[in-house]
Amino acid sequence: MTGVMTTPLLLAAVPIMGAVLGFVVWSQPDKLKIWSVFVTVLSLLAVIGTSEQLTVPTGGLLLLYLFPLAACVSLLGQPVHQEHRLAWVMTLLFLGLGLGVLTSQNVVGQIALVVLLGLITFILYRHRNSLWSASWWGIGTYGFGTLCAVLATIADPFVSSVASLLVCAILLPLVPFHGGYVIALTRLPGSLPSFIVLLLPAIGLHGLAALMPTVPDVMILPLTILALVGALYGAAKALAQSRVPLLLAYSSLSFFSILWWFVVISQTVIPQTAVFLGAVALVTSGLLLAWQVVRTRYGDDVDPRTISGLAGTMPQFAVLLTLLALAAMGMPPFGVFAGFMGMLFTSPLTSSAALLIIVIAWLAASWYILDMAQRLLFGQQRSDLRHEDLRRSEFASLLMVVLIAIALGVAPDSLFGIEHQSPHIVTIMESVSWN
Amino acid sequence: MELTDNSVDIATRRMELRGEISLASAVIAQYWPMRTFVHHNPLHSLEYLPFEEAVRRGKRFLGGNGYLPSHLYRGYLGSGRIQLQHLDAALTPLVHDKHLTIGSRRISHSEVLRACLTEGLCTPIEEPLDAQSYHDPYHQLVESLAGRLASALTFPDVRDKVQAVARQDQAALGRSMTLPHWCDQTLDTQIVSQINSDLIKWCEAFLDEGYATWSMPGREKGFYGSWKALAAQEWSPCGIADSRRKISRLPDNPEDAVLESLDALAIPMQLRQDYLSLQLAALPGWAGFIKWRAEQQEYVWQQAYPVDLVQYLAIRLWYVRELVQKSCHEELGIDGQYQAVTTYMQSQSGEYFLRRERVAGRLPAAYATEVDRLCRQKRNGWEGLIDRYRTDVVPRQERAARQGAAKRLGSLALALKIDPAALLDSSPTDLKQLVDWIEAFPESDHGPVWLKAFEAGYQEQLLGKLARAWAKAPALVENQVFARHHSQSVFCIDVRSEPFRRHLESTGLNETYGFAGFFAVLIRYRAWGKEQDTEQFPAIVRAKNEVHEIPRSYLEHMLPKHESRTKMVHVGHTLLHDLKENAVTPYVMVESVGWFFSFQMFGKTLLPRLYHRWNAWTQRIFIPLISTTLTVDKLTPAETDEMLAAEQQIAVRKALQERTGLRRWQVPTEMAEALRQRALNGEGEPEPSLIEAAKNAGFSTEALTTFVDTLRQRYEINQRAASRQKEWIARTGFTLEEQILTVSTALRMMGLTRNFARLVLLCGHGSSSDNNPFESALDCGACGGNEGKPNARVLAMMANNWKVRERLAQNGIEIPSDTHFLAGQVNTTTDDVQLFDLEDVPPTHRADIARLLEDLEEAGRLTSQERCSRFPDVTATLLAHKAVSHVLQRSVDWSQVRPEWGLSGNTVFIIGRRDLTKALDLQGRIFLHSYDYRDDPSNGLLEVLLTAPQVVAQWINMEHYFSTTDNEVYGSGTKIYHNVVGRFGVMSGPWSDLRLGLSTQTVMNGDVPYHEPMRLLTVVEAPRERIKKLIARHEVLKHYYHNEWVHLVALEPEEGILYRYRPTGEWARIDEGTGAG
Repeated sequence: MTGVMTTPLLLAAVPIMGAVLGFVVWSQPDKLKIWSVFVTVLSLLAVIGTSEQLTVPTGGLLLLYLFPLAACVSLLGQPVHQEHRLAWVMTLLFLGLGLGVLTSQNVVGQIALVVLLGLITFILYRHRNSLWSASWWGIGTYGFGTLCAVLATIADPFVSSVASLLVCAILLPLVPFHGGYVIALTRLPGSLPSFIVLLLPAIGLHGLAALMPTVPDVMILPLTILALVGALYGAAKALAQSRVPLLLAYSSLSFFSILWWFVVISQTVIPQTAVFLGAVALVTSGLLLAWQVVRTRYGDDVDPRTISGLAGTMPQFAVLLTLLALAAMGMPPFGVFAGFMGMLFTSPLTSSAALLIIVIAWLAASWYILDMAQRLLFGQQRSDLRHEDLRRSEFASLLMVVLIAIALGVAPDSLFGIEHQSPHIVTIMESVSWN
Repeated sequence: MELTDNSVDIATRRMELRGEISLASAVIAQYWPMRTFVHHNPLHSLEYLPFEEAVRRGKRFLGGNGYLPSHLYRGYLGSGRIQLQHLDAALTPLVHDKHLTIGSRRISHSEVLRACLTEGLCTPIEEPLDAQSYHDPYHQLVESLAGRLASALTFPDVRDKVQAVARQDQAALGRSMTLPHWCDQTLDTQIVSQINSDLIKWCEAFLDEGYATWSMPGREKGFYGSWKALAAQEWSPCGIADSRRKISRLPDNPEDAVLESLDALAIPMQLRQDYLSLQLAALPGWAGFIKWRAEQQEYVWQQAYPVDLVQYLAIRLWYVRELVQKSCHEELGIDGQYQAVTTYMQSQSGEYFLRRERVAGRLPAAYATEVDRLCRQKRNGWEGLIDRYRTDVVPRQERAARQGAAKRLGSLALALKIDPAALLDSSPTDLKQLVDWIEAFPESDHGPVWLKAFEAGYQEQLLGKLARAWAKAPALVENQVFARHHSQSVFCIDVRSEPFRRHLESTGLNETYGFAGFFAVLIRYRAWGKEQDTEQFPAIVRAKNEVHEIPRSYLEHMLPKHESRTKMVHVGHTLLHDLKENAVTPYVMVESVGWFFSFQMFGKTLLPRLYHRWNAWTQRIFIPLISTTLTVDKLTPAETDEMLAAEQQIAVRKALQERTGLRRWQVPTEMAEALRQRALNGEGEPEPSLIEAAKNAGFSTEALTTFVDTLRQRYEINQRAASRQKEWIARTGFTLEEQILTVSTALRMMGLTRNFARLVLLCGHGSSSDNNPFESALDCGACGGNEGKPNARVLAMMANNWKVRERLAQNGIEIPSDTHFLAGQVNTTTDDVQLFDLEDVPPTHRADIARLLEDLEEAGRLTSQERCSRFPDVTATLLAHKAVSHVLQRSVDWSQVRPEWGLSGNTVFIIGRRDLTKALDLQGRIFLHSYDYRDDPSNGLLEVLLTAPQVVAQWINMEHYFSTTDNEVYGSGTKIYHNVVGRFGVMSGPWSDLRLGLSTQTVMNGDVPYHEPMRLLTVVEAPRERIKKLIARHEVLKHYYHNEWVHLVALEPEEGILYRYRPTGEWARIDEGTGAG
């Protein structure tokens, strides 16, 4: 085996082996959490150490770096409890599979993708609730995605291309295939939502990078319309939500739809797209973690409308949440802003109407995200509740997200390997065909 | 329930309604304008109730807490401020003689109650954060105990619970919950905030007192009338459809509108008063200000734009009825009426329960979504959902409740030093008994117990000190003659005077007295150059005399220059204001003159003291200060006529200038006088001399006649107005008899009737701070929230009047001829004393004045030093001169939220001789009123002290008390967000209720109270029987002592023994050392 082939396997093996070894300390949740965090750090080191040998994805190495970081912050932000153990192990497993998908160019990557989608389907099935009829949408969508991923591997080129595009639309959510993403973000347990919010769209973008240059022109208009509708639909739905996970799911759908639009009109994936995706996903992950902080204190089913005035009692949390909200709204100097501007200046703008829609979606995001933060942080303090500011791991987790979001906005692209062109860079364009 | 009887005459119904609204408004306190901030008890109107009951009412109607949160009391316990023996004593009335045995340990009911308090066993136990603490060593024990409790701890079926909730809310509707509240918490509407928001808009616009650039039109029609006229032009206010037609069809009479709305809402008669109270309590600030204004019939703004609570309710209830009807109809398909709503709660209790739980955020997310779906689709799946809730959610809740109970038992065991494992060997019945004891003493019942223990600790220590001080104090000997003091100074009873007095006494042979800062001088006062009077008396009394500040006669030559420059400054300010408020000019102004403001901004921010000095210096240079005196003596009839004539001549000249353009200097005095006489007395043809003078001025005879008519009608130069003005002028000053009575009363009340020093300083107090809407809260409460300077000057001038002294001598108060009364004012922010009318001091007293000034300066320095040690931002002990500099800096720092911080901490009112407290450091927490019962054989003076100064002290005390216990409801929240509104109050942010009470920064130090909230303790050095007679005579005193708003302790002067007055009306001897009585 050559280095190019073994390195992806090594990268995938580190977290997967970590997940397997985690069962050794299964009965000790605190140790399992520490172990899981350690494995993510190890994975990050492995990515850094092997970056020279890797086939650099189109978006650069940024997403590869972000995977273990996102897994790390997701794990850090969780409270130590035995109910979360499965989610931690699954996070490691997903991390391994994600790294495998992103770094492998052969069938191994396809298999990893099938397994990943299958696992998500299975977990959603396990956590279904008869009162949540929408759960079945999620199960169905990811089940369909799994099927498409299998088809993409075994079917003839045309079917394979269509199936690949559908998989991309499910992973990097595009209306009307967004149901699975929304359900996954709201129903998956523990640390998984805050991790998959980066993992799945990043894999989707990776697939899209290979696919877009080959998409026939006739598909561009429908995809553009779907992207713009998705941006508006996501914003409108987010405005109507009172539950935070749903709000964030639809908010990120809106932003990812913007990303779809850029990718579709430019018919390519550029490094700035990865910055935008990484920043949106990471900031959404941070907000999900911030919400997890509230859930940890006031119960899994806490209604955000019943919690207010946290600024006075949880100042650290208030500061970090505010910074995350600013980042999510697309304010400079965070990565969302930098990524968007990067895309804007490097993509052909064909329609001012489309740009208007994007601006509307963006303004709506400023409204609902600020509203959410304002409701939580200000207003009357509830004296009947015990308030405790961030614990160390929670603080570290949120702080890391904020720092990475700033770094994505201000650090030179080369730091993330975006401009780095490895000698091993190849695309798998040849593997797909619409003819 | 009985609804309205329409057969009753409408006039009777209106009258009844006014009575009901008057009673309903008892739950809200009057709100005085902030420019004369009056400390008051926010539950003043409920003082006829026992304290604890009034606090409960406050909670019910206003949502305010009357006690500190338990964790703060526990903090006091931890620091030793509250002691366990006091807690046990306070618990005694609640303790039952019951015991049970856990392991080998016998546990009493009292131990359990004490543990509830000290360990916080009754605090909410559903803490998911605890569940996340994996390393909980008692996790297993809690699980086992919960299992053991399973058989004993039973829960009602969910159906019964649902019914109980419906019944409970049905009973609360109208009594503690309004229909809009019900809609909000059942249908997830925002009716209350919608109505409040609209009402705030109308109140803000209507009640404005010249602050707004554009005033609301049509205000002369009254609040209801102007709202009706304007709101009818709005497009669908609060989303009410067809609002124009609905508003235009409302009755013109506000009472009828209220009755119509109450009928539309079908509020039963017996609930009306409570219902109206709840509606008023929804915006207690604005309603409180309207309540105050409605009672001020002479208030100029009230006369111009009348408003009262009936009008307010007429508007509010219209919104209520429309929005409730809309919501109930759209969401539930029922009428928005009391009966329809209660029927719905009864018949659809399951649906009601789920909706309510959903809105309260207590349903799991999946259930919340399902409830939303059922509401949206108006489907009938509620029963099925309740069944699912029973099998799915209820078991989880029951398990959590058992775990919570087990956790409490574990904590109890630890608190009682029992091995928690021993609980597992106890019977479930015993465990259940313990749980019942804990649950029967919920957190809401802890406040009164904590408060009593809190007060007992302080009182024990203070009363012990007083008892010891009495033993050391000079014995009471009749006509005892002491060495003559260098000076005697009379300060306000205000707690801030105590340290200053202590330090002044320490500097030399200076004696001090405490007296209510208005010095028994009840006046309306008009400072020179001001256009409005200030009311220099406590809010509970009225004044019949007026005093004006006028320039001294020998300075008349300086007046024109002074007036013209004052006018120039005024014009400049007006111009600047107009330019700033204009719609266009600010665009130009910012660039053209905006830069000049940077000088002010940087000066005030970076070098506040220097800027302040520079500013004062330039003001003095431009407008030189002019020495003034006061119109203390009554004017003779001739002087009155002269004064009236002068004022009318000014009006004539003004009219000539406005109507004809004639300048003042162009109008000879003879002509002005002739016109005045003509306007007052003239009938028929004008006198030839007047016609001639008018011709010279360019008037025709016809024009002259027209002008005279204008003088009569527009400028009010007529007999009727003259008579009114004469009456007004006659109120100026005091007759000799009044002066004698005032001085005599003041001196007797303060016990200063003999041994006069050569100088007697009457020292009022005021304060200075920058950018502080609450500035008047730091001024003298006894002077109606104004500075005490005028009162001190008036009393000093009266006491220096030799005619008064002659008569006083005849009445037994012999003031030596070499005694001079001097007026002064201490600035409580800087501890600087300013003396007034020094030019009236005889030359023989120059040395005395110099010595007094030195002593005052030294006392100020020491006081500043002492005060600085209490500021949280001053960590080191400052030297005296640095302390002086520091307090000066605070007084001019426009970012300083605590310029003074002296009044907080007040807690006791002592009426007695200074000898009792002279040796004590009372830390600026005590109101001190000098009183010698031997000078008061008729008891009349003590009667005044208990019914006036004590009331002022109690209001200050209660304002601080409630602002501390619940700063959001009874206080005004943080100063950071305050915005001045209408020139009479503040709002939080741009849109809120008018904020009541004191700010967070005034009463809190971070998260802990700076002001220790305790009820006032009044200590009176007088025979008990005398005090008891007074209590029997006055309702206010009965309310205070019998309802436990104020604690009363008598110090028997002859025995030196302290007695506590019990709410039952008995005296109980206080044992020294325990404080128990």
